[in-house]
Amino acid sequence: MSMNRSLPQSKEALLKSYRTRLKDDVKSMLENFEEIVKLAKGEHDTQLSRMTRCEQDTYEMHVRAANIVRAGESLMKLVSDIKQYLILNDFPSVNEAITQNSKLFRTKQAECDQKLMSLRDDMAADLYDLEEEYYNSINK
Amino acid sequence: MSYNSNSVNISVEAPIENQIQEITYDGTEIYQPPLTLSESLAKFAQKIDFSKSNELDIKKDTDEAFEDNKSDSDSKDAFQSSLWPWDSVRSKLRSALQEVCVLADVLAIAKEKRYLVLDPVQQEAVETKPMVQIYARKKALAGAANVLLTGAERLKTSQNEILRNRQTPDFHIELLRLRQNWRLKKVSNSIIGDLSYRTAGSKFFQSGMFEVTKAEEEEKTSSPPSSPAPGIAQVSKSNSSLRVTVPSELQGVAYIEVLCQKDQEDLCSVNLNLLGSGPPTANPEVHWQQKLEAAQNVLFCKELFNQLAKEAVQLQAPIPHMVVGNQIMATVLPGIQLVIGLCHSATADKKNQQTAPAPSKSDHDHVLEHSLHQLLREVHHKNTHHPFPHPSSAPLGPSKKRYLAGPMAADRHELLEMTHTETLLEQIIKQAQHFFMRMRTEYVLDTIAKEVKDPLISSHWNTLNSPTQSCVKINISTHGYDAVCRTPLVIHVGEKSLKCICRDGKVMHMSYEPQELRDLIFCHINQHQILAVQALAKTMGWQFLGNSNHLGLGSVEPLGNASSCLLGSPNGDRVIAVRCEPQSGVQVSVAHSPRTDFFPSRLVTERKWEHLGGQFRDVRLEKMEGRNFLHKMELLMASLTSNS
Repeated sequence: MSMNRSLPQSKEALLKSYRTRLKDDVKSMLENFEEIVKLAKGEHDTQLSRMTRCEQDTYEMHVRAANIVRAGESLMKLVSDIKQYLILNDFPSVNEAITQNSKLFRTKQAECDQKLMSLRDDMAADLYDLEEEYYNSINK
Repeated sequence: MSYNSNSVNISVEAPIENQIQEITYDGTEIYQPPLTLSESLAKFAQKIDFSKSNELDIKKDTDEAFEDNKSDSDSKDAFQSSLWPWDSVRSKLRSALQEVCVLADVLAIAKEKRYLVLDPVQQEAVETKPMVQIYARKKALAGAANVLLTGAERLKTSQNEILRNRQTPDFHIELLRLRQNWRLKKVSNSIIGDLSYRTAGSKFFQSGMFEVTKAEEEEKTSSPPSSPAPGIAQVSKSNSSLRVTVPSELQGVAYIEVLCQKDQEDLCSVNLNLLGSGPPTANPEVHWQQKLEAAQNVLFCKELFNQLAKEAVQLQAPIPHMVVGNQIMATVLPGIQLVIGLCHSATADKKNQQTAPAPSKSDHDHVLEHSLHQLLREVHHKNTHHPFPHPSSAPLGPSKKRYLAGPMAADRHELLEMTHTETLLEQIIKQAQHFFMRMRTEYVLDTIAKEVKDPLISSHWNTLNSPTQSCVKINISTHGYDAVCRTPLVIHVGEKSLKCICRDGKVMHMSYEPQELRDLIFCHINQHQILAVQALAKTMGWQFLGNSNHLGLGSVEPLGNASSCLLGSPNGDRVIAVRCEPQSGVQVSVAHSPRTDFFPSRLVTERKWEHLGGQFRDVRLEKMEGRNFLHKMELLMASLTSNS
C-alpha cells in the first residue's frame, strides 16, 4: 500500500524523464546535423596540416552521423517505452475492457443458463415419458 | 678594438664634434661634454637587438660582448651603482650564452655522427590544392550519409518486419490484450503480472506472480539449443511476440480428483495413478492465455486443496479424516470413503493427463469436483461481497445478524451459533452423502421395479433438486387398471436420511440403509394390492365385506403384517377372501354359500343353514388366465358372478 502512495511522484518523474529524453534526442539530432554542416564548410585555420584536418573532419562527421542514428533509435525506444507505459497505466481503458468482458460473459452466462434451462425442461419432459415407458414395459 | 662584423659597427671613438647643447644669443655654442668610454659603450650596447640577429651574428656579438665585458670588467666596479641600465643587457646575454652553449653541444654531437644525424628538412609545406580538400570533404560527407542511411534502413526494416513479416500482432498489441485480461504492473525494468484470485476474494498465501517479457530476446537465447529443428523456432515465432514466465510451482496442469470408493480396495491403484500420471514433456509453445489460465487453475486447485486439508485436520469427525500426502480421505457413509486428491503434474500436456486417470477403477467424480470448485468460489465471493448496509465504523465481514446481536442483546450461545459456518469439507461430504443416498435409492427402486412385475412401480425423479436434496415420486399401479387404483409415494432424499410421504399423508423417516426403503416399498405394494382389489370389487358390483391392514392371523411375517379383505358377490352367495403378505405374496380363497348341491346330514338338516357360508377353497392364481393379479381377480369375480 505504501507503494501506491509514492506512485504519483515517481510517475511524475518518469513522465518528466520521457519528456527530457525526447528533447535531448531531438536536440542531439539537430546539433549533430548542424555540426556536420559546419564541418562541410571547412573554414578554420589551425596549426594542423590540411590532410590531418581532413581526416579529423571525416572522423568527426562519421561520429556525428552515428550520433544522429543513435538518437533516432533512442527515440524509437522512447516510443516503445511510452506505449508500454500507456498500456500498463491506462486504467480507464482497462476498466472499459473489464466492463466489456464482464458484459460479454454475463450475456454468455445468461445464454448458457437459458439453453441449459430449455435443455433441462426438454430432458425432464422426455425423461418423464421414458420413465413411464420403461416402468410400464415388461422388459426391464 | 677589432671590427670584423659587417652589420653593426661599433665605434668607440667620440665623434669629431661634440653635440651642441645650447646656442646663446651672442652666437656662442655651448657643446655637450663628450661621452666617456663606458658611457658610450652602454649606449651602443643598448641598441643591440639580440632577438633579431641570426645565430651567427649573435655568436659574434656575444663573443664581442664577452670580450667587451671582459675588457670592461675592471671598470665594473665603477658601475656597480648604476647596475640597473645594464641589467637587461646582462640577462639577455646570459640567455644568449645558454643558447649558444646548447647549440655548440648539439653541433658537437652532430659532428660526431654517432648519436645524432641531421637530416635536411623540407622547408616548404605541402601545398594541398583546394580541389583535393573538396574531394576529401565530399568523401567525409558521403561516409556520414552512409552511416545515416544504414541507420535509417535498419529502422525501416525492423518496422517492416513487425508490420509485414509477422502474422501475429506486435508486442504492444499483445501486451494490450494481456493487460485487458490480466493484472499487470511495471516494476523497475520488468513487467510483473498477478494471476492470483486475491482481487476476487481469495486469501491464499501463495502469490501468483508471473513475468512478461518480449519473445524475441528469449528466442535468441533459446534458439541455439533447439536449432536442429528450424520448424520449432518458426512455430514459436508465429505464435506470439510475448512470453510469459510462470513460477515453477504453478506450471503444468492440476486438478482435484474426487473419488468415491468402497472400503479400502481401490486405494492402491489410485496412488499408482497419481504417481504415474503424465510423462514430463515440457511444452513451452502454448499461447500465453492458455498458459496463464492453466497456472491460475493450478493456483486455484492448490488453494482448494489447502483449504480442504486444513479443514480435514481441524474437523472433529467421529471417524477422523485422513490427510496423507496430497490426498484427503473422509468417510461419507459406513464403508464408503470420499478421496479428494490434488493431481499436479509439471507438464503442460493436457492430453496425457486426461488419458492417465481413465483406467482407474473407481472413476473420478466430475460433479463433485465441480461443486468443490463452486464452493470455493462461493467463499471468494463472500469475502468480497459483504451484505448491505455497510457500516461506516464497524469492520466489514460479519453478517447482518451479528450487527444486530448488540442491540438485540444476544447471549453467548446465540453468538456462537452465528459464528458457526459450514466448512467446505463438511459441505462436500454432505454432497457426497447425498450422492450416495440418491444412488442407493435409485438402485433400490430399480431392482424392485425389476423384481416385482405385477403392480407396476414407476418412479419419476424430480428435475428440480439441490446438491443435497432431491425428490422422487413413486407410483404403484397395475397395468390396465391405472384408473381404478394407484398408490402414490413421495420420497425426499436427503444427506443421510430418507423421508417418505405416503399415500395417506403419513411421513416416514428412514436411515441410509437401503433395506429400510425396500421394506417400505414392499409394504406399500401389499397395501396397493388390497386397495386395488377393493376398488375393483366396487366397480364389479361386489360387496366389500371387510378388511384388515394388519392381520393378526396366520404365520408371522418377517416384515410388516399381512393384510386381507373379504368380498361378497352381488347376490351374496360367493365370498372371496384375499390375503396379502409382503413376503409370500397373495393368497385368494373362494367360498360358496349356499352350495349348489345340498345333502342334508345329521348336523345340518336344512338347506338354509348353507347360507351361513361354506369352506374356503384356495384359488391357484398362477394357473389362472390373466395378465396380472387384478386381471385375474376381475376374471374370477366375473366368473363367479355369472355362475350364480
